[in-house]
Amino acid sequence: MSQETMPLVEDTVTKHDEPTWMADKRRVAIDQLPTLKMPRIQRFDYRDWQLMPSTEIHWQSSSASLAQSELDATTAKMDDQQISVVQVGQTTTQVKLPAQLAKQGVLVMDLFDAMREYPELVKPHLMTNVIKTNETKLTSYHMAMLTSGIFVYVPRGVVVNQPIEAHIIQDSTKTDHPLISHVLIVAEAGSEFAFTQHLSTVGEAENIANCFVEIDAAEDSRVRFSSLDAFGPKTETYFERRGLAATHANIDWAVGLLNDGNTIGNIDTNLLGEGAETDSKMIAITDGTARMGINNGVTNRGKHSVGNILQRGVLLGQSQLVFNGIGDIIHGASGAKAEQENRLLMMSNEARGNANPILLIDENDVLAGHAASVGQVDQQQLYYLMSRGIDRQQAQRLVIRGFLGVVLSAIPAKTVRQELITTIERKLTDEN
Amino acid sequence: MSTLEVKDLHVEVQDGESGAVKEILKGVNLSMSTGEIHAIMGPNGTGKSTLSETIMGQSAYHVTQGDILLDGNSILDMPVDERARRGLFLAMQYPAEIPGVTNAEFLRAAINARRPKDDQISVMSFLKELDKNLDLLDMNEAMTERYLNEGFSGGEKKRNEILQLLMIKPAFALLDEIDSGLDIDALQVVAKGVNSMRGDNFGALIITHYQRLLNYIKPDVVHVMMGGRIVKTGGADLALKLEDEGYAGLRDEFGLDVDLVDEN
Ligand SMILES: Nc1ncnc2c1ncn2[C@@H]1O[C@H](COP(=O)(O)OP(=O)(O)O)[C@@H](O)[C@H]1O
Ligand SMILES: [Mg+2]
Repeated sequence: MSQETMPLVEDTVTKHDEPTWMADKRRVAIDQLPTLKMPRIQRFDYRDWQLMPSTEIHWQSSSASLAQSELDATTAKMDDQQISVVQVGQTTTQVKLPAQLAKQGVLVMDLFDAMREYPELVKPHLMTNVIKTNETKLTSYHMAMLTSGIFVYVPRGVVVNQPIEAHIIQDSTKTDHPLISHVLIVAEAGSEFAFTQHLSTVGEAENIANCFVEIDAAEDSRVRFSSLDAFGPKTETYFERRGLAATHANIDWAVGLLNDGNTIGNIDTNLLGEGAETDSKMIAITDGTARMGINNGVTNRGKHSVGNILQRGVLLGQSQLVFNGIGDIIHGASGAKAEQENRLLMMSNEARGNANPILLIDENDVLAGHAASVGQVDQQQLYYLMSRGIDRQQAQRLVIRGFLGVVLSAIPAKTVRQELITTIERKLTDEN
Repeated sequence: MSTLEVKDLHVEVQDGESGAVKEILKGVNLSMSTGEIHAIMGPNGTGKSTLSETIMGQSAYHVTQGDILLDGNSILDMPVDERARRGLFLAMQYPAEIPGVTNAEFLRAAINARRPKDDQISVMSFLKELDKNLDLLDMNEAMTERYLNEGFSGGEKKRNEILQLLMIKPAFALLDEIDSGLDIDALQVVAKGVNSMRGDNFGALIITHYQRLLNYIKPDVVHVMMGGRIVKTGGADLALKLEDEGYAGLRDEFGLDVDLVDEN
């Protein structure tokens, strides 16, 4: 990508009614991209992946019938009261927000609509203080090529009791349909809510997904983020999920990575304020020949900030899974706590797995701990279950569920937990 | 009526550390039918658990000679789960802990494993049966929502093995040291559970180190095992005789050439 992309940026303003500040951000990103490096995932080589497949901004609209059928399939699983937003490809097909919350100033909407209608809320937060455009080639690429997104804004002191559910359905019915999506979540001081996203693919074409989530959590706010990633086998995914937590803010992550295709990703919470906290839970299952490399990190900057990472991965087939747990404690973060536990279960001799704790501690007065392991399925457990008549496949599924249990049972939202269990069972059944 | 026969069974294990192969069972013969309760007594390290694990099909134990027949058919080539579905049950000396899977869920899976796909047990009948057996074993209902054996005390694990026995209703139960680590009250409860199974369609092989359990579960046949063989078979009174004379006494009486790990 280079200067020839510039005219296309003009198009976004003229044809897509994009604000000029957004076009400026794209131009800056395009300019700086060549000078930047690719993101680093320790012990994971993805050099041969095509994560920046084109030099054009791909605007497209999904066919109306596809958008409708996907929307129908999705809403069939929801109850009427749910707060929800559904996107098929780049099209936002549904937004549901109770009038009561809208009156309080809560926003759940298409990101591009938000740029036009609430620039004062979007502009200061989009790719500025949580994720910066100039971090890597891929963050620049994201900014330059962004074509879909969701904006969530919860004003000061507002508590939303039901989760906000987002369904992002990648339209891979055609090639050259990259999903370049951005979920921007702004939590004002003292607000409290949960956001759950469900990622999936329709269609069989090969495409990339480049999906970012930014959570900007002001003082005393509390955001519980959940994600169920289930992109199809032909999708190569790169994601960034990042949070910035101010004083006594709390950001929790519960992520189920169940993509069928190759995936790299980075989850990180910057605990900037005193007493800020994060609890990051992740489950990943890889199968076939899929390769997945994930960094899950916490940066403790604030005094008495607390970060916990708990990860479990299951490897099937000839897949590869690398978990890097990155704990970064900055000088001055006295009284900080950082704990992490990364465990992998190898269900196949042909799979390759790594669980690496990476600790960078530049402060004396801290409590930090880590545990990591890569193990085989416990034969004694299998034998015990089978001795009660349960067949090997089911026994394996139960043992795997047991292995994932500590993370599963700690996921606060029951619906997410149940959906995760169902998806896991399906993946394991397919395998057998 | 079902039968379980062990014929001239020789079993080897490979030591996990040294890799050395060693023969544990050196020609065991045993034959039992449903409707009978048998007991095997023997000193520590003589191969009692090896026998029960081999019958169940634990892959660490290699049969080098002899056979195990259920209703006249060899089960040596059958995987563990199939043996279980054919009617064998082993209450293990050291049951595994399985976090993330509740006791109740596990019990249902075990019951349904032996029923056709289109005739799985209903939630109502399952709960009814469960309540009845929990009552019988003096177990708290909360136990069923706990993860399978995880964090259970020794006594709770033993009770839980018997709960499974009552729920699964096998033709033959092998009970391996079900009495170890139990106080007298717990022992009585466990015995009550086993006795409730007694009948024409149930047989049990009770493995024990001590005679005490046999005061509560009266055996029809008692076998004494030493040095990897059954050296004597008799009635319930044989257990009492053993209690008096000890294994060393019996060994000397028969002029057996076996080492006893702990002379008693
Ligand atoms: N899985 C095994 N690996 C190695 N040695 C074993 C194994 N199981 C049993 N043994 C050995 O076989 C012998 C008999 O053990 P076991 O059957 O447990 O005796 P018992 O139950 O009568 O006390 C002992 O010497 C024991 O160390
Ligand atoms: Mg034993």
